[in-house]
Amino acid sequence: MTTPARRTLRTRRAVLGATAAFAAMTLAACGGNVGGAAAEGADFPTGPVTITVGADAGGSTDVIARAVAEGMAEDLGVAVPVVNRAGANGAVAMEEVAGKPADGYELMILNASLITITPLAVSEDEAVDIADLDVLKGLSQDDYVLIASPESGFENLDDLKAASGEIKYGTTGVGTGSQLAQAVLFKQAEIDGAAVPFDSGSPALTAVVGDQVQVATVQLGEAKPQIDAGNVVPLLAFSAERNQFLPDVPTAVEEGYDVPVSQYRAVAAPKGLPEDVKARLIESIDAAIATDAYQEFNKNNLFTPHEISGEEVTTEWTELGEKYQALTEEYDINLADG
Amino acid sequence: MESLQNVADGFAVVLEPTNLLYCLVGVVIGMLIGVLPGLGPAATIAILLPLTYGVEPVTAIIMLAGIFYGAQYGGTITSVLLRLPGEASSVVTVLDGHALARQGKAGTALGVAAVGSFIGGTVAIVGLTFLAPVVAGFALDFGPPEYAALALLGILLVSTIASGAKVKALIAAAIGLLLATVGRDAFTGAERFTFDNLSLADGIDFVPVAMGLFGLGEILYNLEERHRAVHPPGKVTNVWPSRKDLKESAGAVTRGSVLGFFLGILPGGGATIASMAAYAAEKKRAKDPSRFGKGAIEGVAGPETANNAAATSSFIPLLTLGIPANATMALMFGALLIQGITPGPQLVTEHPELFWGVVNSMYIGNVLLLIMSIPLVGVFVRILRVRAAILAPVTALITMIGAYTINNSVFDVLLVVVFGAVGYLMKKFGFEPGPLVLAFVLGSLLESSLRRSLLMFDGSAVGFFTRPISATLLVVFVLVAVLPLVRAVRDRRANPVPASDTPVINREEESV
Repeated sequence: MTTPARRTLRTRRAVLGATAAFAAMTLAACGGNVGGAAAEGADFPTGPVTITVGADAGGSTDVIARAVAEGMAEDLGVAVPVVNRAGANGAVAMEEVAGKPADGYELMILNASLITITPLAVSEDEAVDIADLDVLKGLSQDDYVLIASPESGFENLDDLKAASGEIKYGTTGVGTGSQLAQAVLFKQAEIDGAAVPFDSGSPALTAVVGDQVQVATVQLGEAKPQIDAGNVVPLLAFSAERNQFLPDVPTAVEEGYDVPVSQYRAVAAPKGLPEDVKARLIESIDAAIATDAYQEFNKNNLFTPHEISGEEVTTEWTELGEKYQALTEEYDINLADG
Repeated sequence: MESLQNVADGFAVVLEPTNLLYCLVGVVIGMLIGVLPGLGPAATIAILLPLTYGVEPVTAIIMLAGIFYGAQYGGTITSVLLRLPGEASSVVTVLDGHALARQGKAGTALGVAAVGSFIGGTVAIVGLTFLAPVVAGFALDFGPPEYAALALLGILLVSTIASGAKVKALIAAAIGLLLATVGRDAFTGAERFTFDNLSLADGIDFVPVAMGLFGLGEILYNLEERHRAVHPPGKVTNVWPSRKDLKESAGAVTRGSVLGFFLGILPGGGATIASMAAYAAEKKRAKDPSRFGKGAIEGVAGPETANNAAATSSFIPLLTLGIPANATMALMFGALLIQGITPGPQLVTEHPELFWGVVNSMYIGNVLLLIMSIPLVGVFVRILRVRAAILAPVTALITMIGAYTINNSVFDVLLVVVFGAVGYLMKKFGFEPGPLVLAFVLGSLLESSLRRSLLMFDGSAVGFFTRPISATLLVVFVLVAVLPLVRAVRDRRANPVPASDTPVINREEESV
């Protein structure tokens, strides 16, 4: 199964990985302030470039960070360790990175939902602002899919609309795309429903597989194996266009409901990077996402590439945030109601 | 017998030299990080994840799995020697394990724990081999109502675990429940006792609480006691437990294996509840429950066996359903994803060599751990001979570093200091930290499961009794709560207790 070429690549990855792991430990020991020397373009980088992830290791954001870090390390010629700093949906990591010196040695992976949706559910002084960071590059799109348990008998949206009684829908938590997408869809389609928030995608998915709740919305990468095994039935995707990995499943937009909700991810840095450093970082991200290994990674994890410039990311996410706010106001939805 | 063929092929996979080597590396790393308080298997696997990119998927998972169950062996060592539990699942081991160490029987405690861990682990692997597909569904039948009932039962058991005054145990447990409410409300996003601090938004992490209350609190308390004669536990020769010890532990090990296997399958906190339930069961069964907390060997054997069995059986939901049962399993999930394999219901049929290779590597890993731990116990117990003046600051330092590594957070280090002070005060005033820590762990499970259930039931509590598993658990809850009272009343009627005869009353209360 493993071709010689792939094996060489993997071995190289292992060496880089080992360096990264070692650097991560060194960093942990020194409080993460290695390589803080003033960076000027030609010499950049002279030390490890850290990518902070606002979620625990093993999740989608984390594996994306690690895949990008691998390619960047190869291009930059320095270690690119990934540091997990979970908390408050990623706001802890964002606050921390925004406060670091803007020298190019501190990056983070940003989740769109933190910028576009979470502010609708938390108090104003907790909501984060994308303007606190320099966005370097958009990476990919991770679609949400509405799934039903086989026991529920739902096979498409019409079954859901025809159902009598209140439908319990599982969400991946308060202030997430999963909650927003379903809340708006249920209101627009006039389906009687009540949200049951879970702590993350995995328990919400488990609850549908076990028929604890009838439907839930989770990310496609998580749901796909259970869809393939027939343990859950996909009803609807919330992507703007049909998802390439679910060609037979209609989107909410196609069905006439204006709720395009996906999870987008981008690389960002503290505000005010020197121009040459910024250019060098973007160049290395471009090199990383152009590798075969990264593209194969996207395919394996069902991420749709959405590789747009940092400025486009800022515009797109700001617009999405405004759209979601308008939708919640129009349909009188309060995400903080659970 | 196609399945037996698969099992045999799995052994062929494990016996490849590379895989054997990675298995050995995994269990050695696991044991070492288990010894370091704070640095748990989840953090270690996250750090070492990049090392696995270059090897075959089965080899990678064999090593990562080795780290996980190896850490369960190592975690006992600090619980017993230094009163520093690294994981929620070894909190109850502290109670009797450390008491034994103070009596110079650290070797016995560690030896019994190692043997019990080996048996518990092996029983669970056998269960995993033959029952995995059958019992996997059990995890799916456990919805929010079942978790709510289980957590409720667990919190009741907490009060039986303490060995001191019952009222003080209840006060400590109540404080634990209150601490569990800190953080952003998972249902409404409202802030609860976070004081606008983002570090508190997700609530207080368990590990700094346990490390502060037990570890640092103990160090501070011992410093105060220094004027008293230093009592290094004389000779620690009896590493291999005596026949009498093994005989006394046999029942506890058997019960712990079975209990641990089934509770470990449950996603979320299975190993913790398993070790607690095992401890409570042993205390209940004992002829003289007052020995518990003062160095009862069953109090080490039961929970240590149960948490290893649970650690092993927590692979069942991941490998057969694609559901990660705890943080470490979530990392394994991520490791498989990086390798291009998506864990899911089809894993066993699509990648039998992976499934059986990993399962069978656990047999070998457990044997390796048993062989290693017996001589190593002899080395580790020497730690106790180090002068307190040297040991205390070193332990405090390791604790702080450990606390930092969990989440790369200085805030967690501060939490350890705060809870260290609380732990010292509690000990000084005769409160035990055990009930506080355990109620804290179970409190958030109870709250979220209860509220989730009520959302599912449209706010009516009747729903709990219409589901077989939650109804059964609630009936057990009522029996455990009410029976001792009934028995106490009956006993008192049958033979009126003289006012001075307090020991009898104590015994009754303790068997609650």
